[in-house]
Amino acid sequence: MTAVQLAGGVVAIGWPQLLLASGFVLVTGAIALWMQLGVSKDLAIATVRTYVQLLALGLVLRWAFAADRWWWVVGILAIMTVAAARIILKRAPDAPSGLFLAAVTSMAVTGITVTFAVTGLVIGADPWYSPRYVIPIAGMVLGNSMTGIALSLERVFADLDSRKDEIRAMTALGATPWEAAHPSVRAALRAGLIPAINSMAAAGIVFIPGMMTGQILAGADPLEATKYQIVVMLMVAAAEIVGAALAVLMSYRRRFSADGVYLERGFRE
Amino acid sequence: MAGMPATTTPALEARGLTVDRRADAGMLRVLDGVDLSVEAGTLTDVVGPSGAGKSTLLLALARLLPDVRGELLLKGEAAAGIDPRAWRVRVAYLPQRSALLPGTVGHNLALPWRLKVRAEVPRPDDAALRAALDRVHLADVALDRDTARLSEGQAARVALLRTVLTRPAVLLLDEPDASLDEESAEQVGLLTREFVDAGGAVVRVRHLRSDGHADRRLRLFAGALTEDVAS
Repeated sequence: MTAVQLAGGVVAIGWPQLLLASGFVLVTGAIALWMQLGVSKDLAIATVRTYVQLLALGLVLRWAFAADRWWWVVGILAIMTVAAARIILKRAPDAPSGLFLAAVTSMAVTGITVTFAVTGLVIGADPWYSPRYVIPIAGMVLGNSMTGIALSLERVFADLDSRKDEIRAMTALGATPWEAAHPSVRAALRAGLIPAINSMAAAGIVFIPGMMTGQILAGADPLEATKYQIVVMLMVAAAEIVGAALAVLMSYRRRFSADGVYLERGFRE
Repeated sequence: MAGMPATTTPALEARGLTVDRRADAGMLRVLDGVDLSVEAGTLTDVVGPSGAGKSTLLLALARLLPDVRGELLLKGEAAAGIDPRAWRVRVAYLPQRSALLPGTVGHNLALPWRLKVRAEVPRPDDAALRAALDRVHLADVALDRDTARLSEGQAARVALLRTVLTRPAVLLLDEPDASLDEESAEQVGLLTREFVDAGGAVVRVRHLRSDGHADRRLRLFAGALTEDVAS
């Protein structure tokens, strides 16, 4: 073996091997071209972005771990939170305007509580901001709560629209916006939690979860990797439901007027 | 003003109701300064071509539309001084379709009393709901019947009964007997008349010929309300 070497129990991937992995993309691209899927350009851009973004992340993490300062960790978390909030709003095009604050707040509250509950109470990271633990854990928390929030926001506004006649009938009987919107809020939170439940149900049988795979490849004991993975999966479920609940509760009311009337399409801003 | 000469304070009064809504070609004026006065113990039919704004008028009267301009008074009291939900309890609107929620007939009939706005009002028990169903010739409809299994006529009667049981001062009915069979339409008409005879006021949007229950008939056309010359 010339291009790979062992580094502290990890089989390091050399730069030539990394470039060689692009061969997978060539196969994918060839199939896309042959089937005329119309995604070849997107695939090429996505591949370049994968290289650039992840390598940049690797360098930033290497630097952040070496710097070992709490304010850098907090700054990185803030950038991740704002970026996630922007992605959420793009994924819910039917949502009312002005939801950025709700998205950022729900992401931030979820990110802070779940991340530090795990790093502080379960892992016992010392110091509390230990970048090696906090940044990867926060990445998983934010990534999954972003998915949960986006799914829930998209669902709650679609469900409200599909129930507009029922909502009007309830409002006519004197219902508050909360009473009228409640079934849609429940449906949205269920939708936000389904990916985590599916993932928990299939873990270990259908697939070996990503974090566990990474730890095993990095030379960790499989049982230790399993314990971490269980913590991560439960944490992800909590992140999804907390994030989705906060975002939906902070935003559903925007579809109602100050007088508690559901705003149908002809009456929206 | 389209209406009878007022000798007492009207149950419901509207002055200069104006509603605009967004349409593909820009803002569309649906109601253009509508005046209306309805007395307690009367049934007023509003007729007019499709798209004239009849449903919009009822929604505006029920305070179920945003950005309505004009003045509304309930027994002489301005809407501004009445909480919107308290208004809707007293000025009850019944939509043409989808008035019932998924669930059983009993669940739907008791729904108004599960809402916060009636937290202090005693909820009718099952025996009272059963008796009410019997009274409108729905003896064969069990309280635990799923609303999805009701015929259109049965669903319309259950929805009207639910609203009447909440004892509003004014009832706003949107095409209550459209697309109903003759017997159901007759039952709906009788229940409506019973409500009026007990002192309630009703504004009813209809496109069918007169059923003999209405005390007067108004026509809505081009956003304006006038006495119907045909009545």
